[in-house]
Amino acid sequence: MRVLIAASVGVLAFPGLALAAEAGDGGGWLGPFAVIAAGVGMAIAAGLCGLGQGRAVAAAVEAMGRQPGAAARIQVAMIIGLALIESLAIYTLVVALILLFVQPIK
Amino acid sequence: MEVIEHAPIFRMPALACDWATFTCHRAGFIPDHVTFTWVAMMLLGGLAFVASRRMDLVPRGLQNFFEVVLEQIQQLIDDVIGPEGRRYLPLIATLAMFILTANLMGLVPGLAGPTNNLNTTAACALVVFFAYHGIGIRKQGLVTYVKHFMGPVVLLAPLMFPIEVISHLARPLSLTLRLFGNMFGGHMLLAIIFFLMGLDGLLGWALSGNPLGVVAGGLGSAVVTVFTVGFLYPLKILVSFLQAFIFVMLTMLYISGAIEEAEHHGGEPHPAHH
Repeated sequence: MRVLIAASVGVLAFPGLALAAEAGDGGGWLGPFAVIAAGVGMAIAAGLCGLGQGRAVAAAVEAMGRQPGAAARIQVAMIIGLALIESLAIYTLVVALILLFVQPIK
Repeated sequence: MEVIEHAPIFRMPALACDWATFTCHRAGFIPDHVTFTWVAMMLLGGLAFVASRRMDLVPRGLQNFFEVVLEQIQQLIDDVIGPEGRRYLPLIATLAMFILTANLMGLVPGLAGPTNNLNTTAACALVVFFAYHGIGIRKQGLVTYVKHFMGPVVLLAPLMFPIEVISHLARPLSLTLRLFGNMFGGHMLLAIIFFLMGLDGLLGWALSGNPLGVVAGGLGSAVVTVFTVGFLYPLKILVSFLQAFIFVMLTMLYISGAIEEAEHHGGEPHPAHH
């Protein structure tokens, strides 16, 4: 665990250190952190979105197993619910895309 | 994004006009998503024209296809909104077919997908936003409709009203970002997979003129392309259909919410509300 923390601190500190030396060519030292934030943020969002969608699908499949007659309605409700859960991860994706391509933080 | 995406097969030159002197000159290009929105419109309009030109009682061919599609959408409307929702079939079916066409156009190499741009999806979402509020106001009257934003308890109205307004304003935002993020994210995924597998390098090798490079690079490019087309394109086609379905489904839920609120005062939980 301690190694992991040290490694992540090192990884997070490195681009700042590396670029602090050559700052001045238009880009500051914050830019690399934006790239890291895009990647890490997307990873967290994807993981938690997967957890949430897994719970939703598990409940829906269980309900379909109990009541096969209502399977069609449950499926529609499940797909809408999945879309709403997924849109939260999509927000993070949009933020990541903005960080990577629009680059408001240089 | 220009780094990753290639230009589509044709672009429309844009004119910049000076109305004081009535002179125009070429100025860059019209954005690709606008051009290809018109392509999608012409495609759908042309198909609809051909399908409805000679209508038979016993439909054949294109007319049959469109009737099946519209009947499916009408069935969905009957399920979600009820029979009184049938008058909104033109809005909903148009949105469904336009978004589906636009999504699928993004998958064709050489075409630009209109929904790969935030502006197109925002336009669709704003149409839905104003449409369902308009429908609600026309159905219930302005005062009754706004009263539903206050919640059932008078004392809580100052608290409920801002929350309701924000939740309604979040709807077009989430519609926009969901469609755009899904389509553009899929696009990015495809590009990144191509880069990870080294398609650019393999293609360069194949075009270098070196006989070994031609064989190895050509084979490699073929393998990469077949892998990507075989595994990722079905996924993206599924996502295209799913996102069009979800957009239309949420539109119907919003319309039904705007219509129904008159009957159940407050209390009624929405199937999809956030």
